[in-house]
Amino acid sequence: MHYDMIALLMFGSILVMLMTGQRMFGIIGFIAVVAALALWGDRGGYDLAFAQSIKVIGWFPLLTLPMFIFMGYVLSESRLADDLYRMFHVWFGPVPGGLAIGTVLLMVLISAMNGLSVAGMAIGATIALPELLKRNYDKQMVTGVIQAGSSLGILVPPSVVLVLYALIARQSVSDLWLAGVVPGLLMAALFIAYIWIRCKLNPSLGPALDAAELAAVPKSEKYRLLLAGLLPFGIFLVMMVPFVTGYTRLVESSVIGAVASVLVALAKGRMTRAVLETATRQTLAISCMFLWIILAALAFGAVFDGLRAVDAIKGLFLDNLGLGRWEVLILMQLSFILMGTFLDDTAMLVIVAPLYVPLVKLLEFDLVWYGVLYTMTCQIAYMTPPFGYNLFLMRAMAPPEISLMDIYRSIVPFVAVMVLALAIVMMFPQLALWLPNALRH
Amino acid sequence: MPILVIRYVHWVERWNKRIGRMAMYLLFALMAVLLWGAISRAFWVPLRWTDQMGQFILAGYFMLGGAYALQMDSAVRMDVFYSNWSPRTRALVDAVTIFALLFYLGVLLWGGVESTAYALEYGERKSGLWRPYMAPVKIVMCVGIVMMLLQCTVFFIRDIATLRGREI
Repeated sequence: MHYDMIALLMFGSILVMLMTGQRMFGIIGFIAVVAALALWGDRGGYDLAFAQSIKVIGWFPLLTLPMFIFMGYVLSESRLADDLYRMFHVWFGPVPGGLAIGTVLLMVLISAMNGLSVAGMAIGATIALPELLKRNYDKQMVTGVIQAGSSLGILVPPSVVLVLYALIARQSVSDLWLAGVVPGLLMAALFIAYIWIRCKLNPSLGPALDAAELAAVPKSEKYRLLLAGLLPFGIFLVMMVPFVTGYTRLVESSVIGAVASVLVALAKGRMTRAVLETATRQTLAISCMFLWIILAALAFGAVFDGLRAVDAIKGLFLDNLGLGRWEVLILMQLSFILMGTFLDDTAMLVIVAPLYVPLVKLLEFDLVWYGVLYTMTCQIAYMTPPFGYNLFLMRAMAPPEISLMDIYRSIVPFVAVMVLALAIVMMFPQLALWLPNALRH
Repeated sequence: MPILVIRYVHWVERWNKRIGRMAMYLLFALMAVLLWGAISRAFWVPLRWTDQMGQFILAGYFMLGGAYALQMDSAVRMDVFYSNWSPRTRALVDAVTIFALLFYLGVLLWGGVESTAYALEYGERKSGLWRPYMAPVKIVMCVGIVMMLLQCTVFFIRDIATLRGREI
């Protein structure tokens, strides 16, 4: 059989077998080892899967993964973000749509303290959502804001998705994280601009808070809350300053961040046994989930490498279809978004990356820049129906008066804004690459 | 269900949970080792063992915790259709597809055992300054894979029990 056919067959069988609902890592791994055994069984095919595990275990930045997951759980379980929300409430309340804008800013701060979108989602749905609904904010606006805002968690450093990408693309994690900063802030700014314009045109979507109600909050309280808002900056600074100045390495900074979040929770008296237990247990569960799926995906990728499947794909695009490199890139992003609508996001992350990353390299694009595009596309996929991670979380966490249709409809404008942000970063790669280049030491 | 099978299920689940929970706390050992490395490099001399040690601890964390994580049902499934099925249909499909998982873990273990045997026979060491032996970490990885294999057989037995309409 021709190698291209084998590659196609592998890809097809994965898609079919995933539909059975068996654990994803098992299916990806199964196809990988079956192919490896059939192709090179007597010449190390049986060893391929285990060799990948040894390689992953030897990859130093992997140590950041459990640290940032732990940090996110400490943060959301100990409800450290409550004060933050109140701060934005008091300070942004009088602006039209101000609470929604405050929620986006809250999400940026939370994103700077953890690497996944789950923590932002949990905080958004439990604190911000009921409060915004009580203030007669439009419910579609509110659910859209929370989903879009929390998706920033995977773009703004620290980002777990970028760690996984770095593992597959063999790029530096710190470069990737720094590259995510400006696009992340850009996306947040676009969200805010959108909310502000919508609410300016139609104030009923996001009514400003009563002046009387805000006047009831004493000045001292206002400034106390502002101080509480400095807390995430504090955690972010003790984590990032030693790193940027070269005292610690990335892995050590992640440990400092995890310890700092525990210390803050202790200082605020919110570090109960239950919080510690949940955070530790969930960290194990989520870290293992990521690791096992990555192990399987790397085995799968190694077989794909051996088949030289990427050359075939490149040949198809460039020679047979006669496309330019930019056209191929745009096609890739489009197919990525399309796949995101029907493939599970974790599957997409691990199946698509080993396939696309070598192609991007062959096309001579910058892999750090592509990492940012990749993450932004993941964010969009997280939100697009029918299978979006954030959509499901939202459905699980939202109060009953918000229907599934509300949730689906709410994301449309925000996805449009995200596509716009993606296009801007594609057109101006310097937005992503400027910071890592400026700070490289 | 035969009493021996039921005992086996409980025994595997109990031990996987026990070992998994011990592995869970390795997270704090990992923090301590890495912090110690950072502090001693900043103030005294860089240590040559902390990075490697951290990676070994992480390997133990992931591998020995894997079966417990499976027990907690943390592994992602593509639940497009799965979530709409009855518990019986789920058990039926799972009881078939679990063999894919068993096969993958089996091949993983095969590679692991060969690699461990090599490490033991030739006294394989990691390159670098500290040069630790590789055999211990490989043995731990194999143990972790065996634990996951056992956990999968338990899943299979539980699915069969569900199909027969029994509780374990």
